[in-house]
Amino acid sequence: MSVLSAATRAEVERHRDRYPQARSAVLPSLWALQNQIGHVSPEGMREVSEILGLAPSEVEAVASFYAMYLDRPGGRHHVLVCVNVSCGLRGADDIVAHLERRLGCPSGGTSADGEFTWEHTVECLGACGGAPAMQVDHHFHENLTPERVDAVLEAVRAPSARAGGDRS
Amino acid sequence: MPDTRPVEQPEDGRVGVTVDGRAVRVPKGTLVLDAATQAGVHIPVYCAHPKMDPVAVCRMCLVKLSTSPKLQPACATVVSDGMAVETRAPEVVKEQEGVLEFLLLNHPLDCPVCDRGGECDLQDFTQRYGPPTSRFPITEKVHFNKALRLSDRIELDQERCILCWRCTRYYEEITGEKELVLQQRGVHTLVATFNGQPLTSEFQGNLPEVCPVGALTHVRYRFVSRPWDLQRTASICPECSYGCNLNVDSRDFEIKRFASRDNPLVDDMWLCDRGRYSFPRWNSTDRVRRPLVREARGGVPVAVTLAGAVAAAARQLAAVREERGPGAIAVLGSPESTNEELWLLRRLAREVLGTPHLDHQLERFAGLAPAEHDLGIAETEECRAVVVLGEEPEHRAPVLRLRLFKAETKRGVRVHRLPAGTAPAQAVEAVGTGPGLVGVIADETARAGAAEIAAALAAAGATVKRLTVTRGPNGRGAKDLGVTPGLDAGYRAAAEGMSGREILEAAAAGRVGALVMLNGAALAVDGDDRDLLERALASVAVLVAVESRPGPVAQSATVLIPGHSLMEKLGTITSCEGRVQRVRAALPPATATATETGVLSMLAGALGSTGWPSDPIAVHREIVTAVPAYAQAGNGGRALFRGAPA
Ligand code: SF4
Ligand code: SF4
Ligand code: FES
Repeated sequence: MSVLSAATRAEVERHRDRYPQARSAVLPSLWALQNQIGHVSPEGMREVSEILGLAPSEVEAVASFYAMYLDRPGGRHHVLVCVNVSCGLRGADDIVAHLERRLGCPSGGTSADGEFTWEHTVECLGACGGAPAMQVDHHFHENLTPERVDAVLEAVRAPSARAGGDRS
Repeated sequence: MPDTRPVEQPEDGRVGVTVDGRAVRVPKGTLVLDAATQAGVHIPVYCAHPKMDPVAVCRMCLVKLSTSPKLQPACATVVSDGMAVETRAPEVVKEQEGVLEFLLLNHPLDCPVCDRGGECDLQDFTQRYGPPTSRFPITEKVHFNKALRLSDRIELDQERCILCWRCTRYYEEITGEKELVLQQRGVHTLVATFNGQPLTSEFQGNLPEVCPVGALTHVRYRFVSRPWDLQRTASICPECSYGCNLNVDSRDFEIKRFASRDNPLVDDMWLCDRGRYSFPRWNSTDRVRRPLVREARGGVPVAVTLAGAVAAAARQLAAVREERGPGAIAVLGSPESTNEELWLLRRLAREVLGTPHLDHQLERFAGLAPAEHDLGIAETEECRAVVVLGEEPEHRAPVLRLRLFKAETKRGVRVHRLPAGTAPAQAVEAVGTGPGLVGVIADETARAGAAEIAAALAAAGATVKRLTVTRGPNGRGAKDLGVTPGLDAGYRAAAEGMSGREILEAAAAGRVGALVMLNGAALAVDGDDRDLLERALASVAVLVAVESRPGPVAQSATVLIPGHSLMEKLGTITSCEGRVQRVRAALPPATATATETGVLSMLAGALGSTGWPSDPIAVHREIVTAVPAYAQAGNGGRALFRGAPA
């Protein structure tokens, strides 16, 4: 049984054909994998490596180097809180403490209901203008307060809200 | 103003540089590191490796150059004319101490229990270039897995790794298998395999030698010995005909490991796992230890002196010769004997016993000619293309695969792996017509096909050279020296005789009166052959055997003389490319009996042919006098028979 769906497979092939060297296509291909199954599994990486014509070890080496590829299954939603300088100055610590309480697990953990995996960033999210900020399923949410965080999480739980971000 | 006028120098493609004030002239394109070595100046390195491309990741080799405002890595910087290199400048010394202090931050204090202690670059360079103390508390070190089994052969201590990338580059550049990679990042970086799977390469044994520290270790050498307790003997791998050079490291009369010994023309410093880990079999104490005589087959064995055994052998052989003629005697050697032993065996058969039935293997090789061993191993790198017939060559001589990979990836040689039965026309189509050197490599079972393909390629315009991967460590020497039916030393025609298999079949049918076997058990290893051997042994009336291991031959011998293993003797063996290399005694002999050459010379004397040399060196002198190609080969060169009669 193949891990990659036909669509993901097609996307990886597209990335492969876009670069003169297959190696260059590893990062976007890993994203395609993670977007489909929520993390980068060994079997998924093996399939990616086969399409790209690389050794599976090379693909795993790249995947493990970057913090934003998840190496095990997480919650349905992925929450990333920035703790770099700007966000730190504007109260990121409170946001982190709030999330820890709210989701009942430390950074890197998954809430008991399986909805959220959250972690604080290694580096800056690049949203300093709206600090403190977090990213939920690739969408930015800025000028956070504990109340806003709660609102965002509630909205995300409801599938209809998943499509749009919040840049206010 | 410094004087910048160019100094007149000969235009010889070389540039002049100074290293710590010592002037050397080196070819353009030379790395600073190699120029320093030539000037006799040591620069410490971790990531740099003589067989791999530079990556300059460890920064241990930084030096001060007159051409650059910042320190530069000696392992990756090319010299330029007039460059002044300083390896002991204060900023270099400070940097070296800094690099070592960083490397030791999380390094465990394992030296007293580490396999590598005593031959470790981290120990040695810390001693020589490092800071005297650490500013880092030992309690704050980051810990990793200390005994990660990567396979049944290799164990990794992740705490000892200094992240030099040598092992991962070995897999990328030398074997191409890419089994090891660096995972994670920063202080958490680890050497690992994909998804934690075990290593499967047949060249893993090189990893602990590639690793500059004690991170990658041999499972079979964990906690076994300190290097200074080992006795090192330079010898040749006994496992196949490729002739890899190695060091036999023994302690208390037991071989503890085989270590590589770089010969750029042969092994290029790599061993295969089959060869490297074959050492335990030489430690077996199950041996034939004293001469025995049975007056008739099935009789009670009587322990005798060597002189008694030799006299009995001469008596029994002479009786058969008298009764049934010299043609009733057959002589079998093996490709596991040295040239010196095989030479005397050949003399015994042809000159003393007068029998043409002499062989060192079972199969008959029709039309055996020296041209099929013409291509040198290193010469493959100069070929335009190389044809490898079937999987056998690389299966029998695994390190050949690394040479072909190098030829392919670093020298642009096209390597065509074709099935053994490929038609000549197809081979020509694959290789293409036109001039240039083309190599054809086959094993002994594909000799005929290789000859046809070589002829077709030559007709298509190429200069063709062949290499035949022979069997056993010295199958080539046995052929060169005429221990084969119908061909005498130097491939001169001789009276037709029976091949090894024909000898055993004739013996089984009762048509052989006496059999002389030197290390003959090594001939018949697999089921059917062993069966044939046992039937032959059961039917022959006189069996004179020099044998080191108990077994069917030793049990059936009417005269049994203890032999010595390849690890207990001095001599030469000839690799498949014709390289005549020395094996040396790494272990004391398991028997007090004289060496094989001594025994053969005594036996010749007892049969009336006196004055034979008995020690290997004297026998070797006789060989080089009789076979000019062996004189030209010297010690370590190739014996070539170009222009010799086919
Ligand atoms: S790798 Fe070298 S420095 Fe490290 S513990 Fe072993 S011997 Fe000591
Ligand atoms: S395991 Fe050894 S060879 Fe590999 S990176 Fe670490 S120190 Fe270097
Ligand atoms: S040896 Fe030069 S940087 Fe590592």
